[in-house]
Amino acid sequence: MNGSHRARPDRATAAATAAALLMALALAMIFFYVPTDVSEGYSQRIFYFHVPIALTTYFLFTWGAVNGARFLLKRDMSLDLKSYVPMHLGVIFGSLTLVTGSIWANIAWGTWWFWGDTQLTTFLIIFLFNCAYFMLRFSVEPGERRARYSAVYALLGVGLIPLSVLAVRIAQDALHPIVFRSNGVNMDGSMFLTFLVALAAMLSLAVSMYLVEMRGKRVDERMAQLRRLARGAA
Amino acid sequence: MRAYRALLRKDLLLELRGRELVPAMVVFVVGALVLVRLGLGGERLAGGTRAATGLLWVVVVFTSMLALVRSFAQEREHGIWDGLLSAPADRSAIWAARASATFLFLGVTQAVALPLFWLFFLQDGRSPSLAVLAAALALADLGVAMLGALLAGLVSNVRAREVLLPVLFLPFALPLVSVAVRMTVDSIPPQNGGLGALHGLGFLALYDTIFALLGWALFEYVVED
Repeated sequence: MNGSHRARPDRATAAATAAALLMALALAMIFFYVPTDVSEGYSQRIFYFHVPIALTTYFLFTWGAVNGARFLLKRDMSLDLKSYVPMHLGVIFGSLTLVTGSIWANIAWGTWWFWGDTQLTTFLIIFLFNCAYFMLRFSVEPGERRARYSAVYALLGVGLIPLSVLAVRIAQDALHPIVFRSNGVNMDGSMFLTFLVALAAMLSLAVSMYLVEMRGKRVDERMAQLRRLARGAA
Repeated sequence: MRAYRALLRKDLLLELRGRELVPAMVVFVVGALVLVRLGLGGERLAGGTRAATGLLWVVVVFTSMLALVRSFAQEREHGIWDGLLSAPADRSAIWAARASATFLFLGVTQAVALPLFWLFFLQDGRSPSLAVLAAALALADLGVAMLGALLAGLVSNVRAREVLLPVLFLPFALPLVSVAVRMTVDSIPPQNGGLGALHGLGFLALYDTIFALLGWALFEYVVED
């Protein structure tokens, strides 16, 4: 590693540092700053984890689908990787959403899973969609065709996600606390500020994980190239 | 449009002569309805008409998978793909013709399934509105056929395609079924509000519109090779 590299930290390190700082700030605000919710008590604080994680998952899927569409238009293989990595991270954040949502359901309603809850059910559909994306991706040999099929399926998810939100909302009785209404935000200033910091922390964590995973994938690719070259020379 | 008509004619003629798909779907749907009836208790219907109506939709989804799994099978097995792709026609005509054929096959199967459903489950005078059920089935079939044609094209060159297609399709069936079940179950008297038929049908029409647009736009990328 040369001197100039040390002097200018790369994007992954910068994003990881920002994520660590924001996460520490968010945790401090969640446990020591924000007032306790009157109706749900101390355990309502899981809201500051659950909702930012859920929004980050939506963000990751949108990011994956946008890069999928860009791949179909430009046919640049690096865009395939940029579509796959957010989808992969989406599974991690999606699983966390289901786990934190289930914990919250148990605290608020005394049951680990409630089918009447719109958000949990929607997330389950999206989670299944994501698992199917991976089944498809790993059934096709690496290459242009795999990239194309993955991009098409990711774009179908753009249709599925709003439809699932709508379907579950109109087909079930609303029980999930609706914090964001069309006429404004249903929480006080300090709670909203804490929520925004927690959301920024989750988003920057996702971005830093994306940059680290992209770097790993590029190293893998280079290693594979070197192995091919070494085999050719021998 | 000419290409679409020719391709649809080809699909219908192949089915008419070979009788490969529709008879199997009809036998499957009859078997599945008997299975559901026995599953809900041979003599006394457990869960009543509401449970039966919900399960009818599960049977509909599984039956449609039979049609989707065999989509493009002829093209693959007899090397028709190359001919279709080299034809100087819009490739989305292949998708539209396949979706239309699947829609018709599903319609024929359900024309058999609905009277049987009535016979097996709805003898106690309490039944979902048949008009609502038929309209919901028609719109749901349309969505399934359009999305299914795209997914069938997607897996037609993939190994383990018969296993993969249901896995890819199921997440998309979930919003459709959740609204359709609620809508048809809520039409069973005595109706105490619930999801109105117009709201439900509006959702199904939206579902069809979204997947019509996505199918039409994306099919070209699915069949490049």
